[in-house]
Amino acid sequence: MKCYVPGPNVKVLGRTIHALARFGDELYLESLVDCVRLRTLNTAESAYAMVKFNKNFFSYFNYNYNSNNDNDGPKCKISMKSALNTFKSPAHMDKQVENLEIKLELDQCKLIFQFKCKHGIIKTHYVSILDSKVTQAVYTKDLVPNRITSSQRILSEAISNFQSSDDQVTLEALSHSILLRNYIDDNIDLSKIIRTQINIKSEEFDSYTVDEETAVTFTMKEFKALLTFAEALGLPIQIQFETTGKPIVFIIHNGTTLEAHFVLATTKPDVTTQASTTQKSSRVERNKRKDSSNLTESASKKPHLEEDISKCLDEDSHLFNFVDIPNEEIPTNNCDNSVNVENNNLVDIKDCDNIPASPTSKTMIKSLFKKCFESTFDPRSTQDVVLAGNSDSE
Amino acid sequence: MTEGLKLTVEEGKCVQASAYVPADNFTEYHVREDVDVMFKISIAVLAECLNIFGSAEESSLKMYYRCEGSPLLLVLQPQSVHNVMTDCEISTQTPDSLLDLRDSDADEVAKLVLKAPAFLALLADLERSCDVLELNLSPEHPNVSIVTYGMQDRSCIDMPKSSDMVSSFSCEQALTLRYQLHHIRLFMKALALSSKVVLRFSSNGVLLLQLKLEKEDQRQMFSEFYIVPLLDD
Repeated sequence: MKCYVPGPNVKVLGRTIHALARFGDELYLESLVDCVRLRTLNTAESAYAMVKFNKNFFSYFNYNYNSNNDNDGPKCKISMKSALNTFKSPAHMDKQVENLEIKLELDQCKLIFQFKCKHGIIKTHYVSILDSKVTQAVYTKDLVPNRITSSQRILSEAISNFQSSDDQVTLEALSHSILLRNYIDDNIDLSKIIRTQINIKSEEFDSYTVDEETAVTFTMKEFKALLTFAEALGLPIQIQFETTGKPIVFIIHNGTTLEAHFVLATTKPDVTTQASTTQKSSRVERNKRKDSSNLTESASKKPHLEEDISKCLDEDSHLFNFVDIPNEEIPTNNCDNSVNVENNNLVDIKDCDNIPASPTSKTMIKSLFKKCFESTFDPRSTQDVVLAGNSDSE
Repeated sequence: MTEGLKLTVEEGKCVQASAYVPADNFTEYHVREDVDVMFKISIAVLAECLNIFGSAEESSLKMYYRCEGSPLLLVLQPQSVHNVMTDCEISTQTPDSLLDLRDSDADEVAKLVLKAPAFLALLADLERSCDVLELNLSPEHPNVSIVTYGMQDRSCIDMPKSSDMVSSFSCEQALTLRYQLHHIRLFMKALALSSKVVLRFSSNGVLLLQLKLEKEDQRQMFSEFYIVPLLDD
């Protein structure tokens, strides 16, 4: 296999390698008659990614130039670390690199990347081949009942609301909206965590087909990686999934030169956590409405940034972080008329005049030093202990 | 010295770095001409004293040294704040013998003049995990090639003399030299401040790297690095 990648596409290739590196430790390269496929699989075999570069991605492409009689086309496996080393900083690559030549020398057990850079400098990386086999994941994507196409911006914005400690996300697909929430393990103390739930209406998406309502849970790390990839390329994401336990497939393609499939295993969402979520949201006491600056923007076709962030303090003095992206087109010239009907029996906010006050400091303090207000609190128990000494002796 | 101030540090008898500030960089410069003024101080302490107002603060500095055995006196005054002054006294030691890596018997076999920012970008891109850098110089194309060996991989950077980051190149005979990458990394900080870099290779393999720091007002400062090569076992 021998091919030339023109300068601007080197950056795309670099981004791809970096996205794949978030998935697995090994990179499989397979060259076919009309395309090159890069694949990776994580060690737990729960995430798989495949990116296909069509012939026209390259300025020159010869899939089998050293013409061994192998009809399958050459393939190889290299370590992801070497691949990352080769594409160190994809963001600056298009400025430095004029073109890249990739050569697969199976006889020498080397995959050769040759960068022709500015100043007439040539950087050559001889990457050792670990194996000459590839893996192939089996998954269905076209026949599944649920298919959603979304711009990456909506999903990235939704995901940015989650805590960095959240490692799994549950996507609940309803017939007219999807709910994204962080997955909470049963064993974790509920008073120590922040729940985040985001409701996105079907109208926000470029296309929306949910024939079978379901909820799937998958890992956040890989999801973020593929969002970053889509963001870097500015391409929409197609999400195709069946039901719990069946893999969810994310497809990113630009129609002509590349197509990427990211497959994540899904697990069943925890039933009890789910139940408590709905329960808690119906018991909301306070809410705070934050008007987004986007109200001034005209009611255009593009997805509304308008977010209602209702930060609620429920009876368990337990923070519940709820973000709703509504589907109603809000008349923007008159803020007073904006009516938002929120899902989940949460709160009906009739108009903007009625912005509820933020929680008073008393309540906040009460919940902070809650223990002191408990009937079982014994003031004597803390008398002898100086928790924080006087900062200044004078 | 009457010509200027020279600071020299050494590491493990393998690397010697010096910074040379010509006398015209100072507004006033007096040195006794009849004796060698030379002493040893801790560089960490000196750096700490110079950065006493924070590295962002521009300060004016006066330095005094009386005679052998007396401390080095530093008076720093920040430019933005008035009536604030620090007075530092660093005790000095008699210098050890400095390594003389300039071997007069060894001829210079190759010389390379490069643009510093582009050279820095190349070095910054080298793999972090490997520890040996191989340098191949030859009168034929590609004139300079830098090779690093990773875990299983080999990377190679070719730099022909026609490249516009190479200002001048002279090499009579092909040669291969190997250096500790860790030693090479030591001068990257200085390289970031420089505009031009001269690499001189002598026949015993010692690399002399001369960096030119240019300030806005055309006054120049220099630094030099001697790096001892790795020998084949």
